[in-house]
Amino acid sequence: MSGMTGRLALAGLGLVVVASLFACVGSVGYGGGGYGPGYVEPAGYDYGGWGGAYFVGPGRGGERRAAPSPSRGYRPAPASRSVPSIPNRSGGAGRRR
Amino acid sequence: MNKLGWRARFFVSQAALILALGCAGPPGAFADGFDPPPINGQSSAEHLPGKVIWVELVTPDLAAAERFYGGLFGWTFRDLHAGDTRYALAQRDGEAVAGLVERAVPATEKRQPAWLTFLAVGDVDDASRAVVAKGGKILLQPRTYASRGRQAVFADPQGAVFAVLASHSGDPPDYLAAPGAWVWSSLFARDADQDAGFYQTVFGYDVFDLDDESGSRHMILSSGDYARLSVNQLPADAARRHPHWLNFVRVVDAADSSAKAVALGGRVLVPARLDRHGGKLAVLADPTGAPFGVMEWTGADSNQELK
Repeated sequence: MSGMTGRLALAGLGLVVVASLFACVGSVGYGGGGYGPGYVEPAGYDYGGWGGAYFVGPGRGGERRAAPSPSRGYRPAPASRSVPSIPNRSGGAGRRR
Repeated sequence: MNKLGWRARFFVSQAALILALGCAGPPGAFADGFDPPPINGQSSAEHLPGKVIWVELVTPDLAAAERFYGGLFGWTFRDLHAGDTRYALAQRDGEAVAGLVERAVPATEKRQPAWLTFLAVGDVDDASRAVVAKGGKILLQPRTYASRGRQAVFADPQGAVFAVLASHSGDPPDYLAAPGAWVWSSLFARDADQDAGFYQTVFGYDVFDLDDESGSRHMILSSGDYARLSVNQLPADAARRHPHWLNFVRVVDAADSSAKAVALGGRVLVPARLDRHGGKLAVLADPTGAPFGVMEWTGADSNQELK
């Protein structure tokens, strides 16, 4: 009886060790140890297929707005507002946006 | 037998305790003590929620990445190593522009190097709750670093990975990026409408639909009355396309930068092409495959920069 209890106790403690190891892996981040998330992007995804009018950049401001999608999952900015652009004032070398 | 059993139980319990304590570590610090640097050389009083304020590259070869990006954009690097972390702070004319983190690629890894986009928030924990409530996932829990601030890493509901940061040194003010600095960011989504809604909820953006003759959804998301990013529908004609963020560095000539990138060991993913603003942009990959963009932008400082 005491042998069975001992084995059960050992098994329980073994589970604690395994759980601790999993907790350890989780605590140092997604994708492995060290700073940051590691590798999170799937390998080998494609670019291209951008037709001539497939635009991704900002406009200069004041572009014509399209009608919002009827199935939209967002609230469009009020129709009275024109499309803004990126900051245009110069602020010294190396400044970000 | 009983004595042996007692010893075994004692040994295992001690091992478990050591493991548990060792893994927990001190709050707010990694076990190797690495403290990422502030994103500003000079502190700023600005707080600009929704702005892309930082980018970090995860790369298997830090030295090779420094050669590539240094050669392409004129960046210089300050190496910051602590414990197992090898990190380089990229600078342009003395201003911090990016972070580079070295990480070995496991043999079985099916993921690739990439630039991670950091968006400014006022409260990382509020952002974390909003992300989860709207169907996103937490990849790295909110964590405070003494110099940098509090940050976390998420995947949006369609799988695009991004980070948020409440910077201890404030946010970089809204100036036009100089050549060699990050100027624009785009998000590519399977369902651009839904993803725009997600980011609007988390960051409070205004959303503007743009006319797009290609028939694809193209939206500009703004905060503080400045455009911060575009949300684009992924082209539908290929299966191996994955929702993701893409950041653009301002350059004087996108075609010249593309040629230079190839000479340095990189690749051209999308050749230089005219975009909505009247300048060209291109999508490139560094020698390890991390994608990034280059974009021309003529602005208030153009006469000076082209001299």
